[in-house]
Amino acid sequence: MRKALLENLNIRCRHGNSGKYKMILLWQVLVNGVLLGGIYAAMALGLVLAWGVLHIVNVAHGALIMLGAYVSYYLFTFIGLDPFAGMPLSMIVMFGFGYLLQLYLLNFMIKAPMFNTLLLTFGLAVIFANLAQFAFSADFRIINPVYAGDNFVWLGATIPLVRILAFGVAMTLTLFLWAFLTYARYGRAIRATAQNLVAARLYGINPRKIYAMTFGIVGAFAAASGVLYGVVWQINPYIGSNLTAKSFAIAIIGGLQNPLYVIVGGLFLGIIESLSSLYLGPTYSDLVFFGILVLILIVRPTGLLGKTA
Amino acid sequence: MKRMSLSLLAAMGLFAAQAVFAAPIELGASVQKTGSFANTGRYYADGYQFAVDKINEKGGVKIGDKQEKLHLTILDNQSDVNLSVRQYVQLLTQNKVNFLLGPFASNFALADSAISEKYQIPMIQGGGASDQIFNRGFKYVFGTLPPASAYFQTTVDAMMKLDPAPKTVALLYADDSFDVSVAEGAHKILAKTPLKIVIEQKYSSETSDFNSLLALIKSKNVDAILVAGHETEILNFIRQAKALDISPKFYSFTVGVSTADFRKALGSDADYAFGMTSWLPSSSLKDDYFGDGMQFAEEYRKRFGYEPDYHSASAVADVLAFVKAIEKAGSLDPKAVRNAIVNLDFNSLYGQIHFNAQGQLELPQTVIQIQNGKVVPIYNAKGFIGKPQYPMPAWKQR
Amino acid sequence: MKTLLFLLAAFGLATIPWWGSASFIQFCIDALLVAVLAQSWNIIGGFTGYASFGNSVFYGLGGYGVAISMLQFGLPFEVGLCIGALIGTSVALILGLPILRLRGFYFGIATLSLTFTMTSLVSNISFAGGNIGLVLPIGPSDTLFFELSLALLGAATLTVWWIARSRFGLGLVAIRENELTAAVMGINTTLYKVLAFMLSGLLASLAGGIHAYWITFLDPGSAFDLSLNVKMIIMTVFGGPGTVLGPILGAFSLSAISEMLAFYITNLANLFYGFVIVIAIIFMPRGCIDLALHYREQGWRYFLENIKKTKI
Repeated sequence: MRKALLENLNIRCRHGNSGKYKMILLWQVLVNGVLLGGIYAAMALGLVLAWGVLHIVNVAHGALIMLGAYVSYYLFTFIGLDPFAGMPLSMIVMFGFGYLLQLYLLNFMIKAPMFNTLLLTFGLAVIFANLAQFAFSADFRIINPVYAGDNFVWLGATIPLVRILAFGVAMTLTLFLWAFLTYARYGRAIRATAQNLVAARLYGINPRKIYAMTFGIVGAFAAASGVLYGVVWQINPYIGSNLTAKSFAIAIIGGLQNPLYVIVGGLFLGIIESLSSLYLGPTYSDLVFFGILVLILIVRPTGLLGKTA
Repeated sequence: MKRMSLSLLAAMGLFAAQAVFAAPIELGASVQKTGSFANTGRYYADGYQFAVDKINEKGGVKIGDKQEKLHLTILDNQSDVNLSVRQYVQLLTQNKVNFLLGPFASNFALADSAISEKYQIPMIQGGGASDQIFNRGFKYVFGTLPPASAYFQTTVDAMMKLDPAPKTVALLYADDSFDVSVAEGAHKILAKTPLKIVIEQKYSSETSDFNSLLALIKSKNVDAILVAGHETEILNFIRQAKALDISPKFYSFTVGVSTADFRKALGSDADYAFGMTSWLPSSSLKDDYFGDGMQFAEEYRKRFGYEPDYHSASAVADVLAFVKAIEKAGSLDPKAVRNAIVNLDFNSLYGQIHFNAQGQLELPQTVIQIQNGKVVPIYNAKGFIGKPQYPMPAWKQR
Repeated sequence: MKTLLFLLAAFGLATIPWWGSASFIQFCIDALLVAVLAQSWNIIGGFTGYASFGNSVFYGLGGYGVAISMLQFGLPFEVGLCIGALIGTSVALILGLPILRLRGFYFGIATLSLTFTMTSLVSNISFAGGNIGLVLPIGPSDTLFFELSLALLGAATLTVWWIARSRFGLGLVAIRENELTAAVMGINTTLYKVLAFMLSGLLASLAGGIHAYWITFLDPGSAFDLSLNVKMIIMTVFGGPGTVLGPILGAFSLSAISEMLAFYITNLANLFYGFVIVIAIIFMPRGCIDLALHYREQGWRYFLENIKKTKI
């Protein structure tokens, strides 16, 4: 490992100016990390909403992302709908799915201990992955719009178009969620219901509907990140579990108090993956990331930005 | 409850046996029909079935002066190695198969061949090329894929003959048994040439993000890239290379280039990529059952709806090898058939079937390149057989 | 009377290798080992209320202990098994101390991260075979493995039975119900939790060691398999967490049904697990044992009551 480290750092280039090229490489890798982080943040959004607000530990989150990705894939393949343009449609479809799921299934478990909802959603994740395999086959799919390979150069780093678009979408969604929960009446109603069910009822809020709407939003966000995932990487029925694990890690590192913190968590994961891939080797990125996660959990379980308990 | 499951299992065993009456030669395989390896696993399931059906159609297997038919049992291991191992035990002890056909992928073959060795029943597998499978001194496992360590031999030979020859090379490989074997072999092959290995990097299987590696490659201005990995990874690699505007003069991949879905998924981005295959559907590969390689490909495509590639041909070769061995041995005794397999030497639609001392076929890889969406054979052991498009133009200039 | 029945059942089980088919014996070994895992989870998750996703870490470490001892050092299996168990228990101690300070789901996530970390770590150690894994020498007959697994399950169940009756066990349950009060009442919660975690780790690593030698193959993916961890949780929760026989019941019944389904349509087996857990969690969250105990008095209302308690 040390040899690889030294080799990687010791860049000899034809022009003999190794310092400059080292900086350019580092800069490119950092940019990669930030863009990656944006996509990761988008994925974790829905999870933070479900967990932080509804107190539902949604282990099926990755599966929802996977389903959203397939919706977008089929829209793209059969009616040629551009993934970004068609994102609202995919989001609406998955909103409906999430809404129904909450109304007719998850609502029965709201007051159960968190561990039970965890198991329930885990069961759902398994069901979704296997049904997806039946329906869509295990072949991997890509959403490959014409501009998938386009890129431009900015300050010396090559930036792929789809990644910057994905980053933009991720930031927009995060800001929207934050604004919605903080300022919009409906958003505040959601938070109120989650905090105090009885009081909310007394105010005339129908908790069943509210929860269903909230989970619908979770579904919509999962769909959006699914679209991003499908354009940048590949879809198959089994991508769910890895995404769920990363989303949880991001949620924890960022902290559950505020959707904006998800950005911190996402960027953290993206940059760590990128840097460790370069300096330690790609086989170490999981180790580094989850190792750091364990340390954070032990030292500061409310996340890097959260208030200490 | 134990009794119930026991009798249920026994009943199913009987049922399976009754399903095809008077089919004394039983072949068994545990293949990835579902799960993450399923998209290639199905080539094996289809290949085995195709071969068995064809042989039965042509009268079956001749033992002594009787013609016996083949019966195939395929179990789905759901891409789970542990389940695969248990299924092979089940095939031997419960389904009582005579001989075993292998799974796809070296890590499966590595674990499953321990069972064939333990029970001393020959297994011919067409899905595992890693040298590790064959350097344990096992006597009962054979492989129809050429040794992993030799995969890049013809590619490197071809590279050295290109003009202008590349000077620097990056070697990337996934961390599973097959790819590590390929890389170790490639390293030795490259060491004998004037090429300089500037990057030699192992990455985790199922890595989806190659951006850092690609950035490193770009910064070092590498002429050629060799990648030993899985189809999904290679797809990601190429797409990300395009997105980061990285195009070396030459790049070659161990898998993907030969398969139709790969080319379809990438569209025109797949052009210029080099790859390798141990088999091409050629009419010069004559066969007793299928006519020749081209006819085989035609019939296969008609039946299954997709073009066969070397995975399918390798699977068919496994069945053919058993048939020839059984006929040679004149019996179904596992040891006799095993000895017959060792001494096989015949031509088939897949090529010449003659196992080396380790139990593998030493078929040279043909270097292929995707040109305008089609697979073009470029170079084989005898030299150039096609014109390579080299060097690869930058992405924006295509 | 009850003990006599148990002894008869155990004896009957012990004779399976002589009258069962080879593939049935195989299935049993697997079911026995997963039952041991379920019992190991039962100690930390069922009794103490700390839902661990890290038991697969100990399972894997036990396996690697055996594999490395046998392959790299040429030691016999028994020694390898002890080494694996030692490694598993010590890791449980070392990691348990900081991690058991976390509550509820944070503990779960921490143990989950441990699983990923360990997988990644071992993939990078070529001494342990890296990501390719290790192939162990071919071992003795299945009969030996069967009896060994059965003995281990017996030991595990006796341990849980002892826990259920001891002060230690009562302490664990107190921690599960209300940790703060338990601490206030003078229970050394840290000591109890770490001991439970270590016991859990011990059992899991023994099971892992046996499994590795039996399958003769080990790689990080299968050793630290997360789906195994989830399976053991599902089985324990389905059978009855915090009971003595619940995990065994859950393990055997779910394994059997899954195996039968896998015979027909293999995807169905996975789908089945998903459905089982969804339905069981909604209608019978305290497991089969609890269902059996209350069904006589409540009948169908048992299920409805469970839903009423948790729905809005």
